Amino acid sequence: MKIQRHGAVLGLVAASALLLGACGSDNNTGAGGNNTPAASDVACGGKTKLNAEGSSAQKNAIDAFVQAYKAACPSADLAYNPSGSGAGVKNFNAGQVDFGGSDSALKAGAEVEAATKRCQGNPAWNLPLVFGPVAIGYKVSGVDSLVLDAKTTAAIFSGAVKKWNDPAIKALNGSANLPDKDIAVIYRSDESGTTDNFQKYLTTAGGWTKGDGKQFKGGVGEGKEKSAGVAQAVGSIDGAITYVEWSFAQDNKLSIAKIDSGAGAVELNAESAGKAIDGAKVKGEGNDLVLDLNSIYGTKTAGAYPLLLATYEIVCSKGYDADTAKAVKAFLTVAATTGQAQLADAGYVPLPKAFQEKLLTAVKAIA
Amino acid sequence: MSTNLADPTRLATPPTFQAVSLSRRIKNGFATTLVWGAFLIAIIPLVWVLYTVIQRGFPVILDGDWWQKSLSGLLARQQGGGAYHAIYGTLVQGLVCGIISVPIGIMIAIYLVEYGGRSKLAKATTFMVDILTGVPSIVAALFVYTVWITYAGMGRSAFAVSIALVLLMVPVVVRTTEEMLKIVPDELREASYALGIPKWKTIVKIVIPTALSGILTGIMLALARVMGETAPVLVLAAYAPFINYNLFSGPMASLPLMMVNERNNPTQAGFERLWGAAITLVLIITLFNLLATVISRVLAPKTK
Repeated sequence: MKIQRHGAVLGLVAASALLLGACGSDNNTGAGGNNTPAASDVACGGKTKLNAEGSSAQKNAIDAFVQAYKAACPSADLAYNPSGSGAGVKNFNAGQVDFGGSDSALKAGAEVEAATKRCQGNPAWNLPLVFGPVAIGYKVSGVDSLVLDAKTTAAIFSGAVKKWNDPAIKALNGSANLPDKDIAVIYRSDESGTTDNFQKYLTTAGGWTKGDGKQFKGGVGEGKEKSAGVAQAVGSIDGAITYVEWSFAQDNKLSIAKIDSGAGAVELNAESAGKAIDGAKVKGEGNDLVLDLNSIYGTKTAGAYPLLLATYEIVCSKGYDADTAKAVKAFLTVAATTGQAQLADAGYVPLPKAFQEKLLTAVKAIA
Repeated sequence: MSTNLADPTRLATPPTFQAVSLSRRIKNGFATTLVWGAFLIAIIPLVWVLYTVIQRGFPVILDGDWWQKSLSGLLARQQGGGAYHAIYGTLVQGLVCGIISVPIGIMIAIYLVEYGGRSKLAKATTFMVDILTGVPSIVAALFVYTVWITYAGMGRSAFAVSIALVLLMVPVVVRTTEEMLKIVPDELREASYALGIPKWKTIVKIVIPTALSGILTGIMLALARVMGETAPVLVLAAYAPFINYNLFSGPMASLPLMMVNERNNPTQAGFERLWGAAITLVLIITLFNLLATVISRVLAPKTK
């Protein structure tokens, strides 16, 4: 009968629905997922699936934090959408995500007001959790070690210094055998927080007068798409120089220039970058840890690497429901402690001790 | 005209088609070349796309983990994990969209064919359905974002995606169902009325079962279409690397969204996930199309 045949089709649909309902698994430990030790003092619990969105610069760091978070709190998880700082702030303020990630702190005025409203009338805090150093990567055959200062760097990236054996570079590299070769400047052609920070650094420390912003304003050289693009370009051109996130410079085996801020040449490594973070001044009030970037860029401390990209997590000080607050606190605690272990591999700087404590104090105060 | 009696095979009247003239043969050859050329131009990209997707994605989906695990807790560069979270999202969003839009679409079509006739309301409905057919998916997504999320204050969720997909699916269902109901012969309806059966019962017991195979095929094709939509998931749902069974809150992955996300992952693992998700989506949609064919075969009205 026809009715029976209809029944057969319904049965088929039901069977496929059952198949769909068969259990999938979030457990990826076998695939080399979790290799961080579990933290002991994390208060797990609350909302099991956190939702965050924002800066793509901290995506890989958040991935590492999530791994540590899952190791510490097995039933917990977090989704981070790297849709950009602007989208992160917007969706945090609209209450769509539990916290936002941003390359810059909330701007006074409309952004801060909207964030306060989202947090039920409580202030939102900017917590600088992820620091990524920017490397000045170059490739000149025969030159393995190069020292630059902010002023010379500004001159190179604005086209005032055109040759590798320019007296300004020679003065900083006494013994190096610099060739008579044109400098090929490579810059990011897309909008980028890296470009913004690099130009701010040059403005603060090197007398750069072209202005900052997410577009490169030096007016020389050749633009390439994304970090991978600029790093690959420098790797294939003899005499090229660029600014790029540390991990990309490492992956493409670029030589990395040392930076002399007045107290001797400083190599880029976790320790020297950590020193710059330690010396950073906080201009926010209380637990709102907005950094005074000028204190990093303009640092004169011996052994501190000044060219850092700081990214914030934007969280509510109060005004979460209890479940969300508990989970956000647990995640941030793990991120600031055990999550730091894998950061150097991903091209970020682990937090120095003193700064870590500042952050943990703020995280504990979230209610 | 001299007749040749020695040739017995000669026809009494010459055939209508004599030898084809040169100019006609040239035209014929030209047209044949054009048609075959057009066919090849259409088939080359199709074969190329299929080849690329299969060559890059097939090794990925052979792994059993691909169908059972999510990407939860994996770094961008770490191999492993699977697409379960995205497959679940795509199927569930499509299913919920289907559950909402199929009854609405079928009832609109029944009204248009059986009751509406040439009334003003029917004309207005047809017009509206026509307009809705032409609405791009991104517009539907932004509309739902404005109404459901900004005004109604609901969060981004998989259900919002389903609502946007409903806007895209209803007109397709209305159109196919309408066509199918129209080709049901009026004699069947008249025979039913002659036996004193009310109109509603005629529709439920005679008209719909007769048209059922065509209607279901249309529904399956519409479902296959909306499941590949990218704009609604981009606007209305955040990506989650873990499995989220909850339709109404939290981020939920889907295959198009997973592909967009992994496109920004420059590592080998990201490349594999991107193409793995692509072939999975192609496979699922192929499966739906096959299902549509099978259903229409099984349910086709018996002619004997």
